[in-house]
Amino acid sequence: MFAFLIRRIFTTIPVMGFVALFVFSLLYIAPGDPAAVIAGDQASLEDIERIRAGLGLDRPFIVRFVDWLYHLVQGDLGTSIFTNLPVTSMIAQRIEPTLSLMLVTLIFAILFAVPMGVLAAWKANSLIDRVIMTFAVIGFSVPVFVVGYLLAYVFGLQFGWLPVQGYTPLSHGVWPWFQNLILPAITLGFVYVALIARITRASMLDVLQQDYIRTARSKGVGQQSILFVHALKNAAIPIVTVIGLGIALLIGGAVVTETVFAIPGIGRLTVDAILRRDYPIIQGVVLLFSFTYVIINLAVDVIYTLLDPRIRY
Amino acid sequence: MDRRTFVKSTGAAALLAASGGLARPAIAQGSSKVLKFVPQANLANFDPVWGTQYVVRNAAALVWDTLYGFDDKLVPQRQMVESEEISADKSVWTFKLREGLKFHDGEPVLAKDVIASLNRWAARDPMGLGIKAIENELVALDDRTFRWSLKKPYPKMLLALGKNNAPVAFIMPERIAKTDPFKQINEYVGSGPMSFAKAEWVPGAKAVFEKFGGYVPRSEPASWLAGGKKMLVDRIEWIIMPDAATASAALQNGEVDWWESPISDLVPVLRANKDVQVDIADPLGNIGSFRMNHLHPPFDNKLIRQAVLVAMNQEDYMRSIVGDNDDLWANLPSFFTPNTPLYTDAGGEKLKMKNLELAKKMLAEAGYKGEPVTCVVAQDQPITKSMGDVTADLLTKMGMKVDFVATDWGTVGARRALKTPPSQGGWNMFHTWHAGADCLNPAAYPAIRANDKGWFGWPKSDAVETQVAAWFEAKDLNEEKAAIAKLNTAAMDDVIYAPTGFFKSYQAWRKNVSGIVKGPLPFFWGVSKA
Repeated sequence: MFAFLIRRIFTTIPVMGFVALFVFSLLYIAPGDPAAVIAGDQASLEDIERIRAGLGLDRPFIVRFVDWLYHLVQGDLGTSIFTNLPVTSMIAQRIEPTLSLMLVTLIFAILFAVPMGVLAAWKANSLIDRVIMTFAVIGFSVPVFVVGYLLAYVFGLQFGWLPVQGYTPLSHGVWPWFQNLILPAITLGFVYVALIARITRASMLDVLQQDYIRTARSKGVGQQSILFVHALKNAAIPIVTVIGLGIALLIGGAVVTETVFAIPGIGRLTVDAILRRDYPIIQGVVLLFSFTYVIINLAVDVIYTLLDPRIRY
Repeated sequence: MDRRTFVKSTGAAALLAASGGLARPAIAQGSSKVLKFVPQANLANFDPVWGTQYVVRNAAALVWDTLYGFDDKLVPQRQMVESEEISADKSVWTFKLREGLKFHDGEPVLAKDVIASLNRWAARDPMGLGIKAIENELVALDDRTFRWSLKKPYPKMLLALGKNNAPVAFIMPERIAKTDPFKQINEYVGSGPMSFAKAEWVPGAKAVFEKFGGYVPRSEPASWLAGGKKMLVDRIEWIIMPDAATASAALQNGEVDWWESPISDLVPVLRANKDVQVDIADPLGNIGSFRMNHLHPPFDNKLIRQAVLVAMNQEDYMRSIVGDNDDLWANLPSFFTPNTPLYTDAGGEKLKMKNLELAKKMLAEAGYKGEPVTCVVAQDQPITKSMGDVTADLLTKMGMKVDFVATDWGTVGARRALKTPPSQGGWNMFHTWHAGADCLNPAAYPAIRANDKGWFGWPKSDAVETQVAAWFEAKDLNEEKAAIAKLNTAAMDDVIYAPTGFFKSYQAWRKNVSGIVKGPLPFFWGVSKA
């Protein structure tokens, strides 16, 4: 297992290298010019050229790439073109809100989706099953921003129970932190609940038809024990896979959710950077996302071995 | 949990909520000394010389002071300056600073700081470049006095030092002002009424300004950038909200106090809220622009450019931006801001015609050969997107072939700088708009210029440039008006660009906030919160 982990971690290095080259090349050929954005409408062409030169954007591709890579291997992601702040510190400023949002969303989604999926499988083809699956279809179909606006309107503007925007750091207290995350987490988790509930139902249906479940029933094991002890653990591998893969869904959804609820997270940082062509930030954030994704896949593989002792690497 | 237990629990929760057990959280409460403001855009950088975006200028006006400041009559008034001596021919200007001016780090403001600041500003500002071109010397005579000596008269000196168009001549400490004007500063020390809390700056999310105790306001009442800038709040938090619906909800919920630029679609919702006040933001408004490339066919042909003016119905453009609200727009047969001293519609007849058939005839007469018109239209800016849609329809109705490139503003910004033909990455037209405050006269209005260093589209017109020079040399308002009338006529004849109309926008604030005035930028002095 240990050797597997080491091997997997080392395999991430070429993956990250490829991602770095790909992202850098893509941004190089993408249209747009940060110097023109900085210079503003009053600037002459000469002004724009001088700003471009000042930023080092007039250098050849290979020189810029090697320079960026040289700093990258030393842990330096560069400096934002616009803010003149180090990219690492800008990411550090933004990571807490995004991680908080994803964590609360994940907990909310798992707490609701797994019991819903189990219940739907247990009561397959009943009214309860249909209600849950209808909810799942709605969850897939309604865009994240629509859910967000509706929740903000009802619970923020009409009832006044929750703030409609912003983020309070955890260091300011658990409740203020959580209060700001409730609506965004439900918004972001809506589609995720639908996805996990459907997979849980399908996986549970498969397991509940196995011989050992029939045997357990014939031995008089209680329904709750059958569902949550015997069946769920064996149905868990596809569920864990979907939860892991779904984190990519969360990253994408976080961009929209952070915009709707004005949360200063990584998603908004990325969008702002793309619109302004702030290349060092885009490169840094994409690398971070890629690295996170590789680590999540690794964690999912490790969890497989804990759920099913037959799996060995 | 059985069904009955569930019903009991949810019923209890509903009762708790109804009885006020789940009271409104403290989200709508805040200190009366903290003003929360939603600016028009993200404060992504904070160097008002290096980056000339309006949002940077607006924030900088809190932190850095100016030698002169425009009042609401558009007249430059003394701000940091106590007195000035001007030679009879207006070629030598000697200024004395007010006593007691201090930077946020406690250091006094000295003439050497002013000189370094003016040098940096003048390297980037069109008026500053003009002054530098005729400069003899800019020197300190003592700690509070400096002299700007020129080779020829420059009657517009106070306008240059006090104008609010970016870049503004803000005064910084010498050590900061010595930074290359094409590189960004990273220290934000000024002598304005608020200091910048750099440690709390989260670009894209938040910027914080704190009251500067060492600021000595002038004794005159505040009027735009002139007069006593008395701060009635201790702290101003700029909360960046990219989504208009979120900003609207936050204002209604009392989570923010003042929103600089609500979109007109949401104004009815805000007006319906008894706690929210909505009013025009800037009486100087904006001028929409249909910018043509004079270098390449078909708009290298003056008659074809004129045909566009003849066909254009400004109402179509304006309604696409502001909707049905007639208070927010006006026809504009001019390049200059209406209701200001130099406004004129001389030569603007073609823009009043709205005659599609005549435009078609003019196109045929001009020998239009069906060349595609590459319209580069930013879709992420609602104003340019709306105008772009109207233009595509207009040109098609005129019988022109439209190559509509839907893109984002970042790409338009880069592409419009290319002089290559449209088939090689260039362009034929794009839309933008100019703040009315920038279109009062030709001083800070590069879009009206038509010389070798002209703005994107690169028009060339000696008639226009002659009148620009005449305005700079004008000795009184009558001479200025005469020059501007001829300039407007010449610019219309050459179609430097096609104005698409004049439009204004709203601002909105909570009713417990008072002292908000209409102006070309948000003025925070005199604003208080109950």
